[in-house]
Amino acid sequence: MWINMGPQHPMTHGLWNLRVRIDGELILDVDPEMGYLHRGIEKISEDRHYNEVITLMDRCCYVAGMAWEHLYILGAEQALAIRPPERAEYLRVLCDEFQRLGSHLMWYAAFVQDLGLMSPFLYGMRDRDLVLDLFQSYTGARMTYEYMRVGGVRNDLPPGFTERARKVLDWLVDRFREYDALCLGSTIFRKRCDDLGVLRANEAVALGVTGPMLRAAGMKRDLRKDRPYAAYDRLEFDVAVADAADVTARYLVRMEEMRQSVRILHQVLDWLDRNPGPVLADRLPRWLGAPYAPVGDEGYLLKRHYPKGLGFSSVEEPHGEAQAYVVNEGGQHPYRVKFRSPVFANISAAKSYLIGYRVADIPPIMGSVDVCVGEVDR
Amino acid sequence: MSQVTLYSVAYTLSDDLLRAVGSILPAGPRGLVTSGTAVTALALLVFGAILLAASMLNTILLIWWERKLLGRFMDRRGAMHVGYAGLLQNFADGLKLFRKNTFQPREADSLGFYFGPTAYLATSLMIFGILPISSGWNAGSLPLTLLLALTIFSFAPLFIFVSAWSSNNKYSLMGGMRSAAQMIAYEVPLLLAVVAVVIVAGSFDLTTIVYEQQNYWFWGPLVVALIVFVAGMLAEMERIPFDLPEAEAELVEGWNTEYGGMLFAFFMLADYLRALVGSILVVLLFLGGWTLPTWVPGSLTSFPLAGIVWFMVKTYLVFGLFVWVRAALPRVRTDQLLRVGWNRMIPLALLSVFLAAVLVEVRCLPVFGCVPSAGV
Repeated sequence: MWINMGPQHPMTHGLWNLRVRIDGELILDVDPEMGYLHRGIEKISEDRHYNEVITLMDRCCYVAGMAWEHLYILGAEQALAIRPPERAEYLRVLCDEFQRLGSHLMWYAAFVQDLGLMSPFLYGMRDRDLVLDLFQSYTGARMTYEYMRVGGVRNDLPPGFTERARKVLDWLVDRFREYDALCLGSTIFRKRCDDLGVLRANEAVALGVTGPMLRAAGMKRDLRKDRPYAAYDRLEFDVAVADAADVTARYLVRMEEMRQSVRILHQVLDWLDRNPGPVLADRLPRWLGAPYAPVGDEGYLLKRHYPKGLGFSSVEEPHGEAQAYVVNEGGQHPYRVKFRSPVFANISAAKSYLIGYRVADIPPIMGSVDVCVGEVDR
Repeated sequence: MSQVTLYSVAYTLSDDLLRAVGSILPAGPRGLVTSGTAVTALALLVFGAILLAASMLNTILLIWWERKLLGRFMDRRGAMHVGYAGLLQNFADGLKLFRKNTFQPREADSLGFYFGPTAYLATSLMIFGILPISSGWNAGSLPLTLLLALTIFSFAPLFIFVSAWSSNNKYSLMGGMRSAAQMIAYEVPLLLAVVAVVIVAGSFDLTTIVYEQQNYWFWGPLVVALIVFVAGMLAEMERIPFDLPEAEAELVEGWNTEYGGMLFAFFMLADYLRALVGSILVVLLFLGGWTLPTWVPGSLTSFPLAGIVWFMVKTYLVFGLFVWVRAALPRVRTDQLLRVGWNRMIPLALLSVFLAAVLVEVRCLPVFGCVPSAGV
């Protein structure tokens, strides 16, 4: 019997369809269907100024907007041959890591709710709100930030931000202990999640699975270490790895990643306190400084005067490795933008970690994948 | 009549009412109206109406209690705005459901689709007629009250399965299958745990069982039976961690996926009625019903309707325990649930029966005191 779990289904956490063939409670076959949330972001980007594309990046993944902004910005800067000031790089790491905290807290909430744990769901959402409050205090928005700019970031932190941020981090570290007590301390949780949704490293690599799912299979791969971008090469942190390759291992990896994020953030906050400076490169092309010029008004430069270039960037997004390819053929708009979504690959591998388990296992397994449909369909 | 009972209240009420009606009628009809049969019939109706109103009111209060408690467990406040502390929120919700259109899927089987929720609610309500709330506050003491209550209680999987199957929805069907398997599996340890109580109390009559607990409440010596009974009740009530028949994560809403409006309200109401019955049974069987231990000062037990008050307090506290469990535990999987049911609960229940037999033989325990001589 085929059943459609989606496009409107509590398990999906978004808009996609998991077709499942079952025999009683046993899963015989699965067939993930994506594409319900396609908005043509890549195509629209071709028609926007470089800085206007940032708006679209926030909509790519609505729980990890900063990571996607960062991804695009890195590609665009490479294509335009612009370097940001050092303080902007640290600010971007700050954004990235707070975003990782926010995204993982959101994941925690959704994941435990799939298991029927009701209180931790609200604890996760409550604590994520603190992170969103911090975002709001320096970007003005809670989800769609539009904070990064080609050549830096939009504005510096408000006074008193670092103290407030440290307080939030201390609170979060305490809460992580509580989270572990509620999940790992529960026999039912261990019985539900151990040896569930196993995806071994060799298969994961073959299927292009990245991020916490790959690290939970024992593969020590993290772009922040392997191909450092922004200020990550100047910061100290460990890559979270687990061996069991099951749902519990993914839980452990994400919790450890949150702890590492806190560690990184403390270093970043200290650095930001010590090193004031500009947050936007001062020698930007004039046409970048006026990003909202009406479409068609190419300004004062002829097309051939613009620099040309290619940009490729890859970022360790909360869900996995995201990649961007930005082609600059001259002009105020990117000629072509292409993204690689980690969640797309992670969902597409569903056949190898769902078949053979039971219908009741689908929500925790898919929850441990951490689906964000916005970036899958773009 | 020395003791006020629910039936005596209903009888007096209908007697006065019919006398008043009869006084304005000519002699012929007057005799008919004020005859003993008519008064008894009306008294029974009034009795039923009072029970219905009380059980419904308590169910709605129970939902409020759960929402407030759950809210606090989750670091929020629960219902706040309709009425004092959100007391009227559930009435507002009920009104909303009442105003909604009742619909059925085109391919659904009408008979089963409507019969299921109605019968589910009706059987859940039936139990209240025979549960003693305080001494004398029930329909009458049958010698086998407990057995009858549990029998009616175990009708539920049948009606759930009927409504699930007739909904003609795959999720509903899977939920119905799970529900049937789960309820049947946990019926056995539940009844065995009850047998332990019955062995010690020596009666199937709930009133007698309560009075047998005057020396000590049964939860102490029969703690194994209590654990089995509470776990079994959680499964019968389909609450977390045993709520897999309506596990919303994978089965949308389980067996009531296709129900909306008032039919959904029937299910909801019946679920909480069953939760109320479950809490009441725990209080009656293990926590001394409406009685308080003898060391409690008399002023706490002698005010009017003290029995009912203490009974309600205990019931709501027991339900609070169920809510706590719901707030703290994740959901188990079907096969794990059944394995625990057959492999762990039944041996535990048998152990509790054995312990009860030993208790009856030994009669006196060091801490708790002696079993009353009325036992077996």
